[in-house]
Amino acid sequence: MLRPFELCEPASVAEASELLLRHGEAARIYAGGTELILAMKEGLIHYDYLVNVKTVPGLAGVRLDADGSLRIGAATPHRVLERDPSVSERFPAIARMEADVANVRVREVGTLGGNLCFAEPHADPGALLQVFDATVRLERKGGARTIPLERLFVGPFETCLEGDELLTEIVVPPLAPRSAAVYLKFGFLERPSVGVGVAVTLADGHVADARIAVGSVGPVPRRMRDAEARLQDRPVADSEAALAEAGRIAARASDAITDLHGSAEYKEHLVGVLLRRAFQAALAAVAGSERR
Amino acid sequence: MRVEREIGIRAPRETVWDFLWDVPRLAACIPGAKEVRTVEDGKRYAAVVGERVGPFRVEFPLEIEVLEVEPPARLRARAGGRDRSVDGLVKVDLDVALTVVEDGTALRILAEIAVLGKLGTLGHSVIVRKGIEIIDRFAGAVRSHLEAKGS
Repeated sequence: MLRPFELCEPASVAEASELLLRHGEAARIYAGGTELILAMKEGLIHYDYLVNVKTVPGLAGVRLDADGSLRIGAATPHRVLERDPSVSERFPAIARMEADVANVRVREVGTLGGNLCFAEPHADPGALLQVFDATVRLERKGGARTIPLERLFVGPFETCLEGDELLTEIVVPPLAPRSAAVYLKFGFLERPSVGVGVAVTLADGHVADARIAVGSVGPVPRRMRDAEARLQDRPVADSEAALAEAGRIAARASDAITDLHGSAEYKEHLVGVLLRRAFQAALAAVAGSERR
Repeated sequence: MRVEREIGIRAPRETVWDFLWDVPRLAACIPGAKEVRTVEDGKRYAAVVGERVGPFRVEFPLEIEVLEVEPPARLRARAGGRDRSVDGLVKVDLDVALTVVEDGTALRILAEIAVLGKLGTLGHSVIVRKGIEIIDRFAGAVRSHLEAKGS
């Protein structure tokens, strides 16, 4: 049963930060509640105050910068990202990933910022956004900082946010020309067991840039830079062998454990399979966009 | 969920064995353990083990029963308990073996961890990971404790 709590509705980020500071560990940001309220209902966690950021003006919405970067307000629901034309046109991989987050009820109320800050290890956005080198803006009353998204995640359900800090914006830089990103996942429970994001940039028949991120497998979603190095600067034509090696490296680095989602070996195997498929799909997407 | 860990300790096997039965000193090596007490010497013990995972805090009052003892080589024990606030049940089967190696003793811990109830369905991987981390930290603490004393 859900124990009573007070819902605070700040009018600004500064006010929300102040509330967090005042109530300390008794308060938590509410940004859709699709995970938080569930955990509270189950009695796993309790807060006396929920600070609703969904009504803070300016925290929700999507816009494209002059340089092509996508700026996503932290309180933007998944459903908006799934359907926003600028996202599906310029960042189709993000639109597709968002369209497949949980179910439509979750996507309608759950927000991107809420998903990232709850830091449940089995989630999609944290992995894919890392292959775009996304950054996050963290604000508190009287200050702000911008950090790479990968530094936000500290451990399961743990971020580097300070007590009075809020995630306010996610900035996704565009990929270089002749690039494509793909996110693939697999799972048989409600949440993904394995998620792999890949971004590829081609130049003169070579892989000019390869970025790989693995989510859900380890305690936090992570870039797999050693695996990326195997693919970097390779002729596309002989990327197949390197891909198998990159898959093995990423699998080992993914920090898999045996749990209800499957054995560690099974998950490591899936990392390799999804990496290969995602990479090939990304190559095909670059080729497809050039034919158009 | 089965976890196996083996570490080398630069100390004689008998010293390591005695340490395993020195309740206060052993308890100091278990992360998050408090209220450790002897219920029946050599057979039954009790402890409360609490851990934090992000915003979640779980606390298990554990009853530990020693099932089999082969001094100074092996002991088997079973620990189990129910979380106080959440509907969660943890069971751990422990098999600890000590073998003489060239520069001391090899401590092998085999643990079979089961997480049941609401906690199990919601945070199985997180609890299992925490369990592995506790075993690793415990083994490391035992080693530094014994090696610091020996040097």
